[in-house]
Amino acid sequence: MDIIFTESLTRQYGKRIGIEAMSLAVPEGSLFGFLGPNGAGKTTTIRVLLGFLRPTRGRASVFGLDCWRGSSRIKAEVGYLPGDLRLYPWMNGAEALRLFGSIRRCDLEREGCELAERFDLDLAVRVRNMSRGMRQKLGLILAMAHRPRLLVLDEPTASLDPLMQEQLRLHLRALAGAGHTIFFSSHTLSEVEQLCDRVAILREGRLVADATLDELRRRSRREVMIRWKSGAADAAREPPPFLELQKRDGENWTCLLAGPATELVRWAASQPIEDLAIGEPDLDVLFRQYYRQGRETP
Amino acid sequence: MNRGLLTKALRECWLGTLVLGVALLIVEALLAVALLRFQDLVSALGPHIPALQYALRVMLGATGTGGLSPEMIGAIAWVHPVPLALVWAHALIHCTRVPAGEVDRGTIDILLGLPVSRWRLWWAEVLVWLAAGVTVLFLGQIGNALGNLAASGGLSTDPRRLAMIFVNAFSLYFAVGGVTWLASAASDRRGRAIAVPFAFVLGSFLLAFLAPLWSPAERVAFLSLLHYYVPLAIIRDGVWPVRDLIVLLACGAALWTAGGFIFARRDLSTV
Repeated sequence: MDIIFTESLTRQYGKRIGIEAMSLAVPEGSLFGFLGPNGAGKTTTIRVLLGFLRPTRGRASVFGLDCWRGSSRIKAEVGYLPGDLRLYPWMNGAEALRLFGSIRRCDLEREGCELAERFDLDLAVRVRNMSRGMRQKLGLILAMAHRPRLLVLDEPTASLDPLMQEQLRLHLRALAGAGHTIFFSSHTLSEVEQLCDRVAILREGRLVADATLDELRRRSRREVMIRWKSGAADAAREPPPFLELQKRDGENWTCLLAGPATELVRWAASQPIEDLAIGEPDLDVLFRQYYRQGRETP
Repeated sequence: MNRGLLTKALRECWLGTLVLGVALLIVEALLAVALLRFQDLVSALGPHIPALQYALRVMLGATGTGGLSPEMIGAIAWVHPVPLALVWAHALIHCTRVPAGEVDRGTIDILLGLPVSRWRLWWAEVLVWLAAGVTVLFLGQIGNALGNLAASGGLSTDPRRLAMIFVNAFSLYFAVGGVTWLASAASDRRGRAIAVPFAFVLGSFLLAFLAPLWSPAERVAFLSLLHYYVPLAIIRDGVWPVRDLIVLLACGAALWTAGGFIFARRDLSTV
């Protein structure tokens, strides 16, 4: 079952486009990465999904409920961490857990205290006296303490140190393992790559990719190193169409493979090649291509 | 009703309510003492200083050309600009907390991320606001009673008439709050949400002041909320000002409901 489903979802701010014609499906229990550069429309999408903003066109549903009309029912089973988190300065962590628990009509204190221990947060400190990192931890605890069916995190690792980022990753994996769905928005490929099993990529409000990481790796170009036999590099002259020559250094070529490896092997067998090395699929290259503006998407 | 939302609203407004309520208590007590001490002087000077007489009449909404009666002097405590400013300040501060204040300080995302409908949030806020308004006005009445007691009670009004003044003052507070809720619902900035109703109450005050002086203003005096606030008539006649109460309450309820619809239907997020 798809927990999140959008169809031709468009949201405009006057003439400016926030997101356009987005069709997305997030399966239950997945760790779903939502990637895009700043201003790509990630936060707009989340705000439409949570019923803060009305779609201009198209439809969006969470748990099969319309995101605008069923907003309050949806949010009973959603934990949300905003990208630009601001908390009430007068409360401390313990008060926040009591207050949010009272609004949610459930006890958040037990789970909240366990999470606070895990994330090393002192719940007695008032928000106004907290550092950014501490506020971020409290925001995460408030989003997760009711063990929501869907967790929507908008750039959650901002302000967290690497140790806490690792703790968060471990916790999110455990949640996903227990059947919870994680919608993880970020502009950093590496953290999504470490955590998520499926990724959607957004650019200028449009969805340019929606695939598993393995599929994306298959789509991404591999680096190929060719060392020609002495004097053979000149003879070869031009690379075949599936190899994009990046660098020519005497008898050494560095290329990007734009086709299947079998084709390369077949071609290489008939060439005077001394050595051939095919690198791992490089997602970074792929993502930069997606992010780049004014270019054809791969 | 969601207890958590009520707790949050109470937690955020108790201090402001207490400060303004105590300030009103002190001002009302001082006014009661001062009016008792100087009532003979004011009554004696009134006929000789037309400007003073005019100012008092405008404040009280009194008609006719007779002298200043004890009822008129007693009513000054309820129409003086300082108590009115304190009560309106409370309405302006409280009613702009949600949504304009929440959007402005960036907490609206975390608030709307909770599983409550916007109408439920609106209702929780208004219930706490009404309770806070009753508290502030009640403290004002206590201040007036204490002042009268301290100056040995020459201007004390009977409890029934005091209750009528309280209801009339609360209706005025409710109407000012209605304007403010509407401005807040339509705004993303708290400053703007305060400026609009502030301009409105200032306009109301000026209109009530100009009406006896300037006939064009007199023709539109019914547009001023103060036109329906009549403590002098209540003290003098002891009759419920039903029409005035209905106008003020209907005005407040209509504006508050319009604000609720805007709040429930508009796009909301941190800007």
